[in-house]
Amino acid sequence: MSAPTNAVVFAGDDPSDEMTLLDILDHVLNQGVVLRGNVVISLAGVDLVFLGLDVILTSVETAMRHMGAALPREK
Amino acid sequence: MAAELTTDRSVLYLYGITESRPRDLPELIGVDRFAPIESIDCDGVFCWISRVPALDFEKNLARNMENLDWLAETSVAHQRVIAAIARHTDILPTRFGTVFRTEESLCKHIAKRVRGLKKDFQRIKGADEWGVKVFAIQPAIPTVSKVRSGKDYLKAKAALLPNRRPKPAARDEMIKFERALAGVATETASVGNMSRGQRGLAFQTSLLVSRSKRNKLESLLEKFAQEWAQDHRIECTGPWPPYSFVSRPENKVRSK
Repeated sequence: MSAPTNAVVFAGDDPSDEMTLLDILDHVLNQGVVLRGNVVISLAGVDLVFLGLDVILTSVETAMRHMGAALPREK
Repeated sequence: MAAELTTDRSVLYLYGITESRPRDLPELIGVDRFAPIESIDCDGVFCWISRVPALDFEKNLARNMENLDWLAETSVAHQRVIAAIARHTDILPTRFGTVFRTEESLCKHIAKRVRGLKKDFQRIKGADEWGVKVFAIQPAIPTVSKVRSGKDYLKAKAALLPNRRPKPAARDEMIKFERALAGVATETASVGNMSRGQRGLAFQTSLLVSRSKRNKLESLLEKFAQEWAQDHRIECTGPWPPYSFVSRPENKVRSK
């Protein structure tokens, strides 16, 4: 990505950079193809569970630190 | 051994669906941080799965999701797998926590949806999702200086609180911004159930942007960021797999 200016904060596609956990949750919990499997997992209540959770604002870095040990790094 | 098999039953965790199976994909590890990612050919589309313990992802999924540490690591792992595949081929990402008991049931459900999925592949071809957020920059906090009355104090105090409603001028600016973004994007979608409450958030959208227009998006954002340097900060995340631009079974696509 081009050099960020002071005012625009860009986060790239490598989850180890500035994509926040909040953004990831926004995408993976609320969006995406919904298929009805044998096991139907209802996520209807999820919004309530996480409403107003400022704590979730933890940067994804924390999660990545845990992941780093378990996942081989891609080239 | 037999007893172990019954207690350690595994289920299929689905990450996404692609039309092709890239050969040069690096080895990827699934949401359980153990099992590798596999692809299964269902009706001519490829379903990307990993085998995960039924205990964690079927029986206790809802409970696990209330554990923020677990949710953080697992949702990052989910996103990581999809992003890695998306670097090689267009993918329709599946929502977190989509689990099947058998390959047969997975393929049966894909077969039912395959026509809609094919339309989605056309829709997202060669494009990425970008998240754009605009935050109001809070003015420097004035101190409550000498006041003569309680009313003055409350007025001064109110001035310290962030404006809940944007000023009309700011709203016009947002409309201008939204229109400019719509000019670059193929489609826009409203998102943000989780982050809606972020402090100072004035505007939020998701854009489906053709890869050939990525530079246009960047320069547009930089132009507005410079104009707004005093009042607003823009945050852009991406490229995301097109999470917000896949149809749901409940949203029937309307033809013009």
